[in-house]
Amino acid sequence: MSDLKENLKAQIIEQLNLEDLTPADIQDDAPLFGDQGLGLDSIDALEFIVLLDSNYGIKIADPSEGKEIFHSVNTLADYISKHQ
Amino acid sequence: MRIYVTGYGVISSVGENSEENLLALRSEKTGIKQGKKTYTERFKVGEIHWSNDELVQRFNLTQHASRTAILGMIAAKEAFNGHLLDPEIKTGLISGTSVGGMDVSEIAYKDFLSGESDDLNVYKNHPSGTTSEQIAKELGIDGYVNTISTACSSAANSIMLGARMLLSGQLDRAVVGGTDGLSQFTIAGFRSLMIFDEEWCRPFDETRKGINLGEGAGFLVLETEETIKKTGKKPLAILAGWGNASDAYHQTASSPEGYGATLAMKSALSVAGLKPDDIDYINAHGTATPNNDLSESHGIKTVFGSSIPPFSSTKSYTGHTLAASGGIEAVFAILALNKGLLLPNLNFKQAIEETGLVPVKSYSEGNDIKHILSNSFGFGGNNSTIILSKV
Amino acid sequence: MKILAHSYVCPKGTFLNGKLVYDTAEEENPLKSAYQQLGVEYPKFYKMDVLSKMAFIGTEILLPFFPKDADLENDLQLIFANSSASLNTDNLFVESYEQLKTPSPSLFVYTLPNIVTGELCIRHKWYGENCFFVEETFNPLHFSEWSQIALNKGNNSCLCAWVEAKTNGEQECFLFLLTNSEDGGNSIERELSTLIKQYRNE
Repeated sequence: MSDLKENLKAQIIEQLNLEDLTPADIQDDAPLFGDQGLGLDSIDALEFIVLLDSNYGIKIADPSEGKEIFHSVNTLADYISKHQ
Repeated sequence: MRIYVTGYGVISSVGENSEENLLALRSEKTGIKQGKKTYTERFKVGEIHWSNDELVQRFNLTQHASRTAILGMIAAKEAFNGHLLDPEIKTGLISGTSVGGMDVSEIAYKDFLSGESDDLNVYKNHPSGTTSEQIAKELGIDGYVNTISTACSSAANSIMLGARMLLSGQLDRAVVGGTDGLSQFTIAGFRSLMIFDEEWCRPFDETRKGINLGEGAGFLVLETEETIKKTGKKPLAILAGWGNASDAYHQTASSPEGYGATLAMKSALSVAGLKPDDIDYINAHGTATPNNDLSESHGIKTVFGSSIPPFSSTKSYTGHTLAASGGIEAVFAILALNKGLLLPNLNFKQAIEETGLVPVKSYSEGNDIKHILSNSFGFGGNNSTIILSKV
Repeated sequence: MKILAHSYVCPKGTFLNGKLVYDTAEEENPLKSAYQQLGVEYPKFYKMDVLSKMAFIGTEILLPFFPKDADLENDLQLIFANSSASLNTDNLFVESYEQLKTPSPSLFVYTLPNIVTGELCIRHKWYGENCFFVEETFNPLHFSEWSQIALNKGNNSCLCAWVEAKTNGEQECFLFLLTNSEDGGNSIERELSTLIKQYRNE
């Protein structure tokens, strides 16, 4: 699980071009969206959908499902481990 | 100084000219169907069923061009029909498009990759500006030609620029509007943004999921009072107001509270010298994306308060024709003004919970309609509103 | 017209009114370091392109110098310019679909230079007019003319910037805040030329 989380952080940084950040800057339970945490928005949610599809083969058809799944690195890792 | 509309033309999936479009609006008949072309057959689209070649033949066009240019020529020709070119009357053409000649480039690119054809001349049709040049050429307009590409508000912005060019005396007459052909590019683009509905689109409905794409073109001829004295044309409507505003919210999305929409509507009302109470019908942008319809509803509520005029989105008839939508809907607004029409928002069942707004649900005519407000909002918070008034 | 304040952001450091405020000359990631020294919480910073990042930092430190009694929400005009538009990000975007095979939406939004003014408007809730010109070199005369037009139209002040990120790695953002002066003021063109020269040679 902790490997998965570290990989996820690296993939988020690459997918979203957050080149100034390192995996250590992203807390496992910090919100990824909104004004706290990473400040990501709805366009970035699409990047997460691409990320899950291309790296984990998980398809999300309805972007509104993403809200809970993409809340934090913890929720993302949870979802991936349950759906892979 | 007043700006008059002295001509209009439209082609969309519900009809090849304004008369056919009016008939379809009356009979509440949508043009959105299962696509017939290789790149549309999996989707519900507002497609014009003729091929490019067939369109060129049917409408006696002099140029073979991209779908965007062809559709533009057809609508602009209808609008300009009966108008004469005269060196004394400075005439310009301003056209909005988002995809330009994409449809022909897509075919040519595949042929090029497969080695079937290495004719690079096809790509001359690609630039957005070329489509406007070709439309101007078809009408014989060789003066000022401009192209506006601000996504879905392109045609409304063309209409606005035309009006301002007339006011500043740089033009005496302007043919203004927008055109967009369907292409694989736009279908794939909107699908990747996940705001593309595989079912029939449902503007302003709680269950809305996204757009159905459409294609078409809509053009107006604008003249000043002075020009009308020379041309003797009959004014068909007054272009009373216009406004464009951004909402400093996000690079692509509209603010949920509809601040940009509010600003655009308010500024159009102020140019027209009208109060919100004066508006008798709103032709909404109403794309059926979750973001647009919520944001626009809030904007409408902010501007009109407790007395919201009848409103509807005709995208449930035509599909979202992107850069053409503001032109097509301006023509619909003029038809509605002159016949007192309220146009229904097809497929609506359940109001958006957060706003509770209910659009016009059935067709009616003979209503007392003097002023119509028409919204066109583009990605990037490029929000535009025009107001058309009865002569 | 007069210059109320000016700032300069480049990899070497961030300067305010001619004085070095954040020294980043030794930093591996100068802009990240300047952002951290600035101490403002705005996580969206990390998503921005280089142009927006520099303009963000340069604007934050200018804020104390903005006129206090003005309606900046509506009466501030932004006038920005550079010579290579968004070429830097354009190239990154090309790489994203050539190498990674997935065109990146988050890069795509920065493939227009005027997204810089958009980012600042979003950050500070400025609803006035803004424009971004592309021209060969920093031209003080143009800035002075454009600003005069904006001020004559009733704007209270103009935030101007020459913000450049070239593909050879050269980066700079020269920001200056202009307003009308009561006495009509002197020509600001010479002053602007001198300032940018001094900053570039620091």
